[in-house]
Amino acid sequence: MPGDHRRIRGPEESQPPQLYAADEDELPAARDPTRLRPVYARAGLLSQAKGSAYLEAGGTKVLCAVSGPRQAEGGERGGGPAGAGGEAPAALRGRLLCDFRRAPFSGPRRRAPQGGGEERELSLALQEALEPAVRLGRYPRAQLEVSALLLEDGGSALAAALTAAALALADAGVEMYDLVVGCGLSLAPGPSPTWLLDPTRLEEEHSAAGLTVALMPVLNQVAGLLGSGEGGQTESWTDAVRLGLEGCQRLYPVLQQCLVRAARRRGAAAPS
Amino acid sequence: MASVALSEAEKVYIVHGVQEDLRVDGRGCEDYRCIEVETDVVSNTSGSARVKLGHTDILVGVKAEMGTPKLEKPSEGYLEFFVDCSANATPEFEGRGGDDLGTEIANTLYRIFNNKSSVDLSSLCISPREHCWVLCVDVLLLECGGNLFDAISIAVKAALFNTRIPRVRVLEDEEGAKDIELSDDPYDCIRLSVENVPCIVTLCKIGCRHVVDATLQEEACSLASLLVSVTSKGVVTCMRKVGKGSLDPESIFEMMESSKRVGKVLHMSLQSVLHKEESLGPKRPKVGFLG
Repeated sequence: MPGDHRRIRGPEESQPPQLYAADEDELPAARDPTRLRPVYARAGLLSQAKGSAYLEAGGTKVLCAVSGPRQAEGGERGGGPAGAGGEAPAALRGRLLCDFRRAPFSGPRRRAPQGGGEERELSLALQEALEPAVRLGRYPRAQLEVSALLLEDGGSALAAALTAAALALADAGVEMYDLVVGCGLSLAPGPSPTWLLDPTRLEEEHSAAGLTVALMPVLNQVAGLLGSGEGGQTESWTDAVRLGLEGCQRLYPVLQQCLVRAARRRGAAAPS
Repeated sequence: MASVALSEAEKVYIVHGVQEDLRVDGRGCEDYRCIEVETDVVSNTSGSARVKLGHTDILVGVKAEMGTPKLEKPSEGYLEFFVDCSANATPEFEGRGGDDLGTEIANTLYRIFNNKSSVDLSSLCISPREHCWVLCVDVLLLECGGNLFDAISIAVKAALFNTRIPRVRVLEDEEGAKDIELSDDPYDCIRLSVENVPCIVTLCKIGCRHVVDATLQEEACSLASLLVSVTSKGVVTCMRKVGKGSLDPESIFEMMESSKRVGKVLHMSLQSVLHKEESLGPKRPKVGFLG
């Protein structure tokens, strides 16, 4: 808002008060690098969405909704040779549109709702990780919309969003090859850098590098991978990926139980 | 990206060839196409470079501007990346079509430079909290022939090597008013050290093996690729899986080993070419766009 200089005689520029706040010298406590935070997952909670899921892991809270399949926008695309299993030819395959958003109150500083660059990048990462799992050939000329909303960022936000999105797709009854489970990692700097599984926000802030892995547990295929920072040599990153995949396998039974419970709830609620 | 229509028979031909370590143009799985690099092609920039990798043509211009340092890092300058996919590259980029790809490439570039060791940002500081150099790196995609990320990272490294930032001094008056003075000699500038600037190596999974530097046809046969950004010392700064398919964990580990090998060779040859070009001096014959 432009300053009203005729009535308010204040300074031209202003800085946020955090600059002058006392430095929080809070270092993250030492912990077992392979511990996963307890996860609470619930599917089928939004009445207006085809499928939905809510995931809470430590301080991270994500809500995800799936709508569709509905008619895809975009021009006519030609046909081609049909795929196996009665699937549509490559040009007529369905599309998956993903949207990742952070609520303005999700982090320590307020962010404008129109996040911009980072959210576009994470939406693309979400799409690239979910596409291998969804049988888009069974939804020709249709599009599925997945929207993930991060309510609170307590560390490994992208991993939680991936898991919630996969649960929501399964809850919507979309045909999938397998669930996608996401896991976050961060590298704690120091004399002997170690990779920590499922970091909290404090650990992420003090980290030298971060990595998110997405795994399809039954097929044992890596659906998504996104990492950056000063992680060191390739051996260090290889160890991190191995640790992440192990974490994803450990998380899978919790998600299976969540889906079973949601199916039972839906069965009990349906008028017979 | 630009798409090319391939028949099933052509795809099978490419896949079987890659199994035998023989690609359509005779290269091995870990060979790059012939890369041409030329720096200082645009005169209005602080540094520029043009890279031609097969049919992929990239032009990068770096302009150094004065700005205010970011609040969290008051004694460092920073880099900004802008990628423009020109409609010349492929008809799909007409109008707003190339924007998505442009944002994706820009975000990847931000990610690979998002660490302390790639570029020495403290040398870009003029006076803490007040003035710093902002390097605006503009990437122009002139022609798309496959393997965009690799070519763009090579061009960015060459342009940063070529960047000459004028030397300035901050003079303080008696009242405390600061004045910035530009040095009189136009050749008095600071250069950036590009020792630790990473290069992207894209490995496309085709069949059971992976290839480096895929052409458009090979990219159409591959469902998933791994993008690794390595420095000359083998330090990995970014890793990303690209594409619609999934990857086996074992192939990811193999691809990372390959990227380290390939990255080292790429960095060595790029360094030697850049130093050789610079040693030719300002009187060297410029090839430009007509060569």
